[in-house]
Amino acid sequence: MSQAASLKISNIDVFYGTFQALWDVSLVVKPGEIVALIGSNASGKSTLINTISGVMHPARGTAEFGDQDISTLDPFQIVTLGISQVPEGRRIFPEMTVLDNLILGSYNRRARPKKEQNLKMVYELFPLLKERKNQLAKTLSGGEQQMLVIGRGLMSDPKLMLFDEVSLGLAPIVIDALYKALREIRARGITILFVEQNVRRSLKEADRAYIMKAGRIVLDRNVAELQEEEIQKAYFGV
Amino acid sequence: MKITIQQLRIRLILPVVLIAVLAIFPLLGVPRSWFLYLFLFFIYLAMANMWNLLAGYSGLMCLCPAAFIGLGGYTIAIFTWLGLPYYLGIIGGAIVAAAFALLISVPVFRLRGIYFAIGTLVVPEALRIVFFLWKPVGGEMQGGGAGYMVKGIGGVSMAEVYWLALAIGIISIFLMRIILRSRLGLGLAAIRDNDRTAASSGVDVFKLKLYSFIIAAFVIGMAGAIFYIYQGYIEPASAFNVRWLMTIMLAAVIGGMSTEEGPIVGTIIVVFLHFLLSRYAGISLLIQGVILVGIMLLAPQGIMGFLRKTRAYRSLLQLATRR
Amino acid sequence: MVLEVLGDLSTPVIMGLLLGGLYALIALGLSLVFGVMKLINIAHGDLVVFGSYFAYAAMTMWGIDPILSLVMGVPLLFIIGFAIQKYLMSRAFAVSMEAPLIIAIGISLILQNTYQIIWSPMSRGLTTSYSLGGFSLGGAVVPIVYLLDFIAALVVMLLLREFLKRTYLGKAISAASQDKRGAHLMGINTGRVYAFAFAIAMATAAIAGVFLGLTFPFTPTSGVSFLIIAFGVIIIGGLGSMLGTFIGGLVLGLAQTLGGYFLGAAAQMLFAYLIVLVVLAVRPQGIFGR
Repeated sequence: MSQAASLKISNIDVFYGTFQALWDVSLVVKPGEIVALIGSNASGKSTLINTISGVMHPARGTAEFGDQDISTLDPFQIVTLGISQVPEGRRIFPEMTVLDNLILGSYNRRARPKKEQNLKMVYELFPLLKERKNQLAKTLSGGEQQMLVIGRGLMSDPKLMLFDEVSLGLAPIVIDALYKALREIRARGITILFVEQNVRRSLKEADRAYIMKAGRIVLDRNVAELQEEEIQKAYFGV
Repeated sequence: MKITIQQLRIRLILPVVLIAVLAIFPLLGVPRSWFLYLFLFFIYLAMANMWNLLAGYSGLMCLCPAAFIGLGGYTIAIFTWLGLPYYLGIIGGAIVAAAFALLISVPVFRLRGIYFAIGTLVVPEALRIVFFLWKPVGGEMQGGGAGYMVKGIGGVSMAEVYWLALAIGIISIFLMRIILRSRLGLGLAAIRDNDRTAASSGVDVFKLKLYSFIIAAFVIGMAGAIFYIYQGYIEPASAFNVRWLMTIMLAAVIGGMSTEEGPIVGTIIVVFLHFLLSRYAGISLLIQGVILVGIMLLAPQGIMGFLRKTRAYRSLLQLATRR
Repeated sequence: MVLEVLGDLSTPVIMGLLLGGLYALIALGLSLVFGVMKLINIAHGDLVVFGSYFAYAAMTMWGIDPILSLVMGVPLLFIIGFAIQKYLMSRAFAVSMEAPLIIAIGISLILQNTYQIIWSPMSRGLTTSYSLGGFSLGGAVVPIVYLLDFIAALVVMLLLREFLKRTYLGKAISAASQDKRGAHLMGINTGRVYAFAFAIAMATAAIAGVFLGLTFPFTPTSGVSFLIIAFGVIIIGGLGSMLGTFIGGLVLGLAQTLGGYFLGAAAQMLFAYLIVLVVLAVRPQGIFGR
């Protein structure tokens, strides 16, 4: 399902009005990787994810996916290119059924012809969604809703998926299930960039990690090579 | 920033002179039509200021000014029918409007944002029907549709009516000034920014909104009563007409909502427009509509909002206040 | 028979239900727009009257039957609606929360004045061979147009409902109304979706305008009263639900005719408005709303 397209963010600055949220941020995600974006609150992680998705636009610097410049595109165009975001907060469409939520996931032009096949894949990954396919989304539990959001993201036939703090507010058992799903998604050839506050957990799952603090990238390393003190220093600035 | 007596004197001179000039207008033998426009100006000014208080500062998109205007007008009509002096009628009109505001605030304030707007849209319509059916004072109908002559108004001269309008207009300006610099104003600024945050900071959102609502109703009711003294005749369809809202809104928006001077500038323009377009009564609404749309798209902050951003204005302001 | 039980009430009840159909028809477009975009389209009533005037023009200039003229009227209003949303309202939303409301007022002024210039303040009506006929139903003599209104409302409501539930665009419209950011992130071009929603609402308004003109006389300022009725309907029936809007229309129609029956013709609208205010105070999201 994936083609060899890398995400390349180079030296971007992003502002909210006059407030600068991202300073000279650079990031690369190569096809087939799982990359973790770690940092405490207000470190700029969500801003970065939203910038990649096109919700915000960099004032300086470049953002490319493959050889396509995405820095000025609208969110729906970026989805069509193959980058899909699973936002934080379990943003389902509460008044629609599970099935309708999923179907809407394949709204973009590229994904529509593949609707049936992607739906099958989503049901394999999350059999629970198949069971509840005619239930209203708002009747699902927190963990189930999160699965729905991920499933919806998968329906858009992505090459790269961005996960924004998907484990927030969920029980450890559910978090385990979610990360298992993440691994299976990668196994199907989809590249993953996920945002987390929980350092240990993210390092268990990722190939590479970026640590952010106050709008800057302070650490960028293969997980295998990371030392404990380095993490502490970067994360806490101690 | 301490102000010396000297500065105070200078600061007050201009407005006082202006008011004095405006006040002696009637005695200058000015043509009657000018009078009318000045009269309208002050009436609209009072209303626009109050609407701005609600929509621009309190986060209350109130579409019901006509309710207060009509109530003020009918109150004075009733008072004069009963033989009471007209100045009592003016106060009465203000009080009735304010009381009505208090009454409807109970159901209507439970609505947020857009629902509030709709609720307030229905109110004047309902009142129109009520007054169509209710013939408060012995039912002498003029021209059909429960219209009333405002009796005993012959005794009021044009000059007196003008002074009344001038008074309410100036009062509204001072009122805005005082409110915005008071604790009420501070609370309102917080509410306008974000309802819930303000509430969690201890601002009694409901109470402050209610104060604004009642004050605005009071002043608008008063202005309405004064208007109908001049008009001498009131009937439900025009008293509670949505046209009031459109004129007032146009004035506030053109001038700049959420600015103090905005309504003044806006009302000048609106009255000027009335004057220009009086010959083209057919298309005056059309032009106003186009202006409204144009302003919202091109300069949504209104004239004052636009001016504030320009450097020329800012340096002028600095010059004026530094002295 | 139920009608016999109702006895004397049967006339106002039947009339109320059928009239309610017309009210629902007028409100359906507004419900869609309000539900999806939270836009208070103050000009909605005037846009419905646009449909009436267009049909009137078609009738007086080319002798086309009003219902047939919908073949032209619906696409015309569809395009106008699309343009209004795309070029005016979308910009307004970016400015502030009140801006779209103010622009709608501006549009309302422009429309009302235009009608007055072209067709004068005199009241007009769409009178056809069938618009004056009546038939008896359970003891009441009902104008045929009332029945036509009801059928039209039912048909339009069902069409809209199916559209929203079954088509991609329809689902996207529902989704955008529930979570705009979420919809955006899923590849839905919310700008275009809103424009389509508004366009569909306007197409519905065209239909409503024709049936309105067949049922009642209209003037350049009729828009305002029908706007209030339309809002009343969607407040009672609930936001975003087409079925809810339909039922809300029936309730309002009943409130009006029953009010007229018990309180006299002059007070009928008052009773209806009171119901609206009560619903607003007690359950603002309406009977079917969320």
